[in-house]
Amino acid sequence: MSLDHHHDEHGDKLLGSDDFQQARREMRRVLWRPGLRADTQVSITRRIFIHRALLGGTAAAAATAGWLPRINTMDMAFAQEAGPPSTFRFAWISDTHLYPKEVNTRFVEKAVRAVNDVKAMDPPPDFLIFGGDLAQLGDPVELKLGAEIINELDVRKVFIPGEHDWYLDMGKTWNELFGTSPWTFDHKGVRFIGLDTVSRAMDFWTARNMTPTERMAAMATLDGALGGAWAGLGREQLDFLDRTLSDWGTDRPVVIFSHNPLYEYYPPWNFWVRDWREVHEIVKPYTKITNIHGHTHQVLYNEIGAMRSIGMLATSWPWPYAPEGVPKLTRPMLRVDPGDPFDGVGWGQITFNADNQHVEHEYMMWRKDILATSQVDSGTGDNPTTFLSPRPDGR
Amino acid sequence: MRATRSSWVALLAGLCLAGGTWLVLPEPPRPALAHKEPHTSEQLKLFQDLFMEQVGIGDLLFHGDAETERRLGVTLSKTGWACAMCHPYASDTHPAQFPKWQEQMSKFATLRDMINWCIEKPNEGEAIDPDGPAMKALEAYITWSNRNSPLQPGVH
Repeated sequence: MSLDHHHDEHGDKLLGSDDFQQARREMRRVLWRPGLRADTQVSITRRIFIHRALLGGTAAAAATAGWLPRINTMDMAFAQEAGPPSTFRFAWISDTHLYPKEVNTRFVEKAVRAVNDVKAMDPPPDFLIFGGDLAQLGDPVELKLGAEIINELDVRKVFIPGEHDWYLDMGKTWNELFGTSPWTFDHKGVRFIGLDTVSRAMDFWTARNMTPTERMAAMATLDGALGGAWAGLGREQLDFLDRTLSDWGTDRPVVIFSHNPLYEYYPPWNFWVRDWREVHEIVKPYTKITNIHGHTHQVLYNEIGAMRSIGMLATSWPWPYAPEGVPKLTRPMLRVDPGDPFDGVGWGQITFNADNQHVEHEYMMWRKDILATSQVDSGTGDNPTTFLSPRPDGR
Repeated sequence: MRATRSSWVALLAGLCLAGGTWLVLPEPPRPALAHKEPHTSEQLKLFQDLFMEQVGIGDLLFHGDAETERRLGVTLSKTGWACAMCHPYASDTHPAQFPKWQEQMSKFATLRDMINWCIEKPNEGEAIDPDGPAMKALEAYITWSNRNSPLQPGVH
């Protein structure tokens, strides 16, 4: 059976059915405001890229187009770098969703495990990027607990916020503890950019007289409609991105960190940024550009134009793949055992390899097999025949 | 021959007893004209409203609404985790596939069994009455959210 659900005959039939189209229209009516539709002019390319799969310590070639291997090797060269390029690694942790310790120690244990794993990296990473959603409900207690856990790491740390960190006090505690976004720095020939994709929700709370706690609860509900299409960069950040790239050669490597993916995957869960078309307009001339993002809690890979996009794991829990919109280039992860709190989660290790001038990403999931080899065991296995609907009463 | 005569006597006695019972027992109450008269549009709307009310309650429970849990006397989670955190839009709940063999429980399970497993294991809450109002509401929300998915009984 094909893993690509768009080619599934039964799925095609259902996708074309009146019921499904009706549900789809309903979903769009509820959540997609005018002007937020996908730009059909944007082409999604299926570029061939070199990749390897590591199994039992032995490198095995696996050149299946459209399948993201465990190690994803990307051609981000240091060609224009002054001096000899040197190999370096960095680590990604995100989506720890910490509650106060007395409510839930499981998420704490998993965050600590990820931090200990990063601590054990040898040689150590040049830096850690924390990709947002440190806290579950933006509580200063949660954010401080997170800071405590991450500060155990004796490496440079950079941070971008998630919506769960923001909407109790509108980023006050976050900015005090971790600094403001966006930001940029150059490191060994790569320009790194950190964006804030979460703070620009349209105000849904004032007119409803909501308390900060109620506002936060609404934003913390992935399938809640109140926040609408909250993920976005906004004009000033788009200008910042444009300015930041303007003095960087178009063939030099760029890595953009964001909490939400910088393309349209599934808007009802804000698996996108609403101004992703503008982002792609800005990055279009750059040939070695990679977006590394959190929020989706799953193995994810996409390419749009020249930009490659990697979705990172959460340490807290895995989201199911959205019922539609999973990029065709994504090789889905195995379905998860809900009885094992350490399944389907983990962190990320990214290596800039000076010898072959590639960037390699490795999903550090706490299980032996990560990627599905058949549809029945795949996290997207049920997508062809599962048609979901938005919640009642526009909740 | 003697055995045959005894059988006839037993049968006659049985028939008499059954007939007597039929005469003595009161007539069972009749459903209030269900399906005996055409439905009015008001009735149909009422049925739908009653159903959607349960969907709404189920949605609140599914999303961890403490007040609804308190009102129905259930504790669905003690970890801060709510059902919707792993199942946005009730995804991956598969009401159309149950009953089926469920690996986690090593048994042939219903959706209600699965709901209680999730409450007890990942959520560390307290299992709810399988026939109680909270379970029915959760079931209403999950099936309604998946109403456009085809029946796939037994599919893993």
